[in-house]
Formats: sequence, structure tokens, C-alpha cells
Amino acid sequence: MSERKAKLILSDANPTIANALRRVLIADVPTMAIEDVEFHLGTIAGREGDENEYESTTPLFDEIIAHRLGLVPVPTDLSLYNFKDECDTCDGEGCTNCTVIYSLNKKGPCTVYSGDLVPVGDTKSRVADELIPIVKLTKEQALLIYATAELGTSKDHGKWQPTSGVGYKYYPDIEVDKKCNQCGDCISKCPVNILEEKGKKIAVTDIEKCTLCNVCVKACPKDAITVKGLEDKFILSYDTDGSLSAEDVLKESLKILVEKFGNVAELVENLEEDSE
Amino acid sequence: MIIPVRCFSCGKVVGNVYEIYRNRVDKGDDPGEVMDELGIDRYCCRRMLLAHTDLIDEVKKF
Repeated sequence: MSERKAKLILSDANPTIANALRRVLIADVPTMAIEDVEFHLGTIAGREGDENEYESTTPLFDEIIAHRLGLVPVPTDLSLYNFKDECDTCDGEGCTNCTVIYSLNKKGPCTVYSGDLVPVGDTKSRVADELIPIVKLTKEQALLIYATAELGTSKDHGKWQPTSGVGYKYYPDIEVDKKCNQCGDCISKCPVNILEEKGKKIAVTDIEKCTLCNVCVKACPKDAITVKGLEDKFILSYDTDGSLSAEDVLKESLKILVEKFGNVAELVENLEEDSE
Repeated sequence: MIIPVRCFSCGKVVGNVYEIYRNRVDKGDDPGEVMDELGIDRYCCRRMLLAHTDLIDEVKKF
């Protein structure tokens, strides 16, 4: 597990649990993302000592710029922020407990990067990736923007999805039995090169790399090799976009899962009461 | 037009590595190796960089 990448083994599990975890990782872990973008329209004056006047036009439509800003990952501290419509302190008006406001002020000719978004107030919320090009400006063009980020889940929009490439596979198990004559056909055929000859046996170097493709099984002239996936052990892997660390995403997803199962148990209890 | 912020299929941010990728490929490096080093592993993200045509410099003149 690193900051933005994770690979873990789920043992004593089944596909139902692995898939539930996968779905929560994709759609239920909340993150911050820019939701409202306000553009300054008309002329924009240059900074002090700059006599030029700039026009608030860009090569891209404002909608496209707003959309691109929305996709920029915003670092999220889940203990700090509430969902905007459930916020106790402001009743959905927007406050420091549910929103982060960014300003962006750039004058052409230049490329506007995601790193040009300056958080108003605290500096901890600087965007995770500073080198995402947003738009390019030419001479006498400028961009003055206020953008508001809020908490959401990717059930509503993919920009709130903290993870990508979430997937799991059965833990592979390769067995070579006595019929093996060390012909080496399987070693050369393996697409991920994890088989080698060790003494007078075929050995597996990195079992977790196996994709269960069964090429070695088909290549073996003696039918000595079997590839199976263990039914109660899984390898789960995913990336994060930098809004949350890989570890935080996992902790949060497990919390959500427990909550969801708790709800189900409660509902079932109520159901029994009703039927009596 | 301009490099998409995220991969269309999986949602990984690819915009942040585009300029590094472009510079190195223009210098003559192999695109596949550059993407490996930049951590663009899946083929959905790789096609985002590989198949992109940056047209914004052509368009912004108008």
C-alpha cells in the first residue's frame, strides 16, 4: 500500500463481500470536488503597474472550464467536512464546515493549471495535482474565477470518485503434479513470466502476478499442471486520485459498509415486529 | 482539443502527466516506456495520452 495505490489480500472472504467492498470504494466514499464556478464577465483590469485591459474570453466555453475544474481532485479531510445539504451550522447555505472556496486569477498569454487555484483561507486544501492544464489563454485574455468545492459521492457524479481501477481476483493456486517431465513449455508460454525450473521441478516465482489465464495448462503436453483460484481468498487492488490516501479510502469504505449492514439488520428486526 | 483531466473509462487523473509525457516523447523517448514510468498502467488511461491530439494552440488564434 502506498499513498495512491493499494493492493491487499482478503482472506476468509467470498465474492459477495469482495464485491460489496469494491462497490463502496467506487460509489460511496465521499470526497470534495468543485461544484460551483462563478466567472467574472467583462473586462478584467491588470494588476498594479499593468496598464493593459483584459477580456474575460477564453478558447474554451465557460461550461467546459467549469467541468474541467470539477474533475480536479481536491484534498479531503473527512473528519472536517459535512455534506452541504446536511450541514448543521449553515443549513445548506455553505460555510467553512461544508465548502472550500478557491480563487483563480490569471492573465494571458499563459496556460492555466489546476495549481493556479488558490484556496481562500486555509492552505491545506491546495489541489492534489498542480499540473493539470485547464485552458490556454492568449494575449489580452484573462480568467477570474471563484469556485466552490463541496462533499459528494460518485453516485451523483464521477468527479467525486476517489478511486479508480478497483478490481479483485481470486488468489491463484498453481499445482504441478508428478506427470511433469520438465519440458519447459509452460515456462516459455506464461504471459507474465512467473514460472521457472527449480532443480527438477517447475516452481512459481510470484504467484500474485498470475492472471489465471490457463495458458500453461493448455501448453502442458502431459496435463500435469492445474491453475485454480482459491474461492475464499482475493487480491483487491485500486488507485486513488489524491483526494484521499489509499489507506483513508479503505478505512472510510469499511466504516460505510458496517453502517450499511447495520441498517439492514435494523430493518429486518422492524420487519419481524410489523408482521406479528 | 486539450488533454482531458481524467481517463474517460476509469477516472484516473491523466491531465497532470500530459506535458511531461509530451516533452519526453518529442525528445524521442518510447511512449510506452514513458507511460510506465509515469504510472499510467491501464490501457484505458494509456490510450488517453497516446491518442490525444492537442488542438487548442490551433484554435486559440481565433
